Amino acid sequence: MMHQFNYRRIYHFIRRDLTIRKSSISTALMVVSAILFVFFLINLREDYRISVGEFTNVFGLFYIPLGVLLTFSICKESHDPKANHLYFVLPVSVYERMAAIWFSTTILYTIVFSILSFLVGQFAILTGGILFGTDFHLLPIFSGEYLGFAMFYCIIQPVFLVGALAFKKNRIGKTLLVFVLVFFGVIIYNLILFTMLNFRYDVLPGSALASEAFGLAQSDFSVFGMLFFVGLLGPVMLFVAYCKMVEKEV
Amino acid sequence: MIKIQNLKFYYPKSKTILNDVSLNFDSGNIYGLFGRNGEGKSTLMKIMTGLLFPKSGSCQVFGENVSRKHIRCLQEVFFIPEDFELAALKISKYEEVNSVFYPQFSKEQFYELIKEFHLSPDENIATLSFGQKKKVLIAFGIATNTKLLLMDEPTNGLDIPSKSQFRKIIARVADQGKCIVIATHQVRDLHSLINHLMILDQSKIVFDESLFEVSEHLWFGKPTEKDKHAIIYDEPSLGGKAVLPKLDKDETDVDLELLFNAVLNESDRINQVLKKRYHDASI
Amino acid sequence: MDFDNSKPIYLQIVDFFYENILARKWKEDERIPSVREIAVMVEVNPNTAIRAFNHLQDEKVIYNKRGIGYFVSENGYQTVLDIKRKEFMEEILPDVVKKMRLLDIKFEEFKNTYDQNINNIDDEKK
Repeated sequence: MMHQFNYRRIYHFIRRDLTIRKSSISTALMVVSAILFVFFLINLREDYRISVGEFTNVFGLFYIPLGVLLTFSICKESHDPKANHLYFVLPVSVYERMAAIWFSTTILYTIVFSILSFLVGQFAILTGGILFGTDFHLLPIFSGEYLGFAMFYCIIQPVFLVGALAFKKNRIGKTLLVFVLVFFGVIIYNLILFTMLNFRYDVLPGSALASEAFGLAQSDFSVFGMLFFVGLLGPVMLFVAYCKMVEKEV
Repeated sequence: MIKIQNLKFYYPKSKTILNDVSLNFDSGNIYGLFGRNGEGKSTLMKIMTGLLFPKSGSCQVFGENVSRKHIRCLQEVFFIPEDFELAALKISKYEEVNSVFYPQFSKEQFYELIKEFHLSPDENIATLSFGQKKKVLIAFGIATNTKLLLMDEPTNGLDIPSKSQFRKIIARVADQGKCIVIATHQVRDLHSLINHLMILDQSKIVFDESLFEVSEHLWFGKPTEKDKHAIIYDEPSLGGKAVLPKLDKDETDVDLELLFNAVLNESDRINQVLKKRYHDASI
Repeated sequence: MDFDNSKPIYLQIVDFFYENILARKWKEDERIPSVREIAVMVEVNPNTAIRAFNHLQDEKVIYNKRGIGYFVSENGYQTVLDIKRKEFMEEILPDVVKKMRLLDIKFEEFKNTYDQNINNIDDEKK
């Protein structure tokens, strides 16, 4: 077992994954930096400062989609019929592969992207100082909202990881579709559960009540759904991704 | 080294590719895996490297089920597929990020081979032709110094001088601890290297013999008038070539192309002659 | 090395040795290339090269100094000469005679061509 999990090998695998995508990753980061810079400058023009909310909103707008793209890009090699032979014969165990992919697409990505946004923000503030006399201030990066985004990303990322490994074509679209279906599935499940449990109270026949039930189910989702979301979704999806990787053939 | 037992394989919604295949591969040999196009040579190699999983039966490499992708197993296996794409990196960068996974990798050997193939470590792989990429991969595969080296049509895409270079390189690295398996239909390119021949036909192994045994029991050449009745298989090419039981004739070189055609047409009779030695021994 | 299709490869390697010894390229008690070097040179499986070396050892043309390599035997040249003469007399010449008979070539005719060729060879040497 110890032979199957070696930190050096994980490090080497991450290094390999990132090296072969170096040009596309740096291009993507450069483009996003430019867009972030413009967004921050627009924010500065209005009130001469970037507030916590403004920063995290702009950050979150790019952080999650870009992370999803990175996940799909890193898993692409396993589907490419010309590259996957060499990818899978590489002596790296499935545990190590999964650990490497997960680490680089969540932890490493979050750190790099946070630092990048921070630096771009500070640069925007400096530029704003020159252009329209903004006062210099440090960006408040570690806010509750920021942590919320990071948490949310870490929880849903495994879903995209599964999609990236399971689907061969239109991987992003299919994953989103499944995701939406599961989301509605949970709501409808809650709705049915709610109506069944409250049947005696005569909720179903009334026409207005159905929409009320729907609303209640949604609020139920906040408790039940959150539990499912936070506690289960991430780990379960990681496990599913692991299984997908184990059974992957060329 | 590799033990395949009663292996069966088919792709989803398609006919059986391999049926009840049992084979052993031992170190110190260079195996030639022959077969018509689409007879499952590549599939068999992919199973032997854990890239495809048997539908039934087993494939053990170094005593481990290869589908489990055990590290110790994978570290001793290298596979050069027929068609592949390498990342668009400098050759030296490619070596740097991939070689760390192979404990026996020799950088010195790799760069020597790269030089021998008239490539430079600073060249970007993206700018190379397919044949040159193949050379990079062959050099890498050899430098990994794995005990098992599998190659699918390695000479495809190589020009004539490179084919000769390839044979020299294989002759240099083949040793008692190494097992090399080459799947090909380019019989002429490799006939002097192979010392054990396996032939796949109609999803089965129809031939599995060392060429030493073949040359002891079969005779290849132009038959004389009195040999006519003993001909197992012949081809009406210039002068006529035929396969005969050797009996007390002088040993001849094994004509692999002729043997291959003979096996595809007369596998029972060929195998009968080769198996006869067991009967001779028992009498 | 181009392979002649009729002879097993290991015997062709043996012939390659004989040629070198007869041409005095490899002299007595001189070290000859290793099994591996020969295998690479003629692009064959090392097992085939080993078979050729074993055959040469059996014929007492070469000998092995443990840990150092292979050497041409003390009277290697003479041994090879005997082997090749025997081969010529017993295998090649009968074929030639048979062909002469088939093509109705008289011995006198043969002798003329023979003398002419000998002269040519001597001229080349000068």
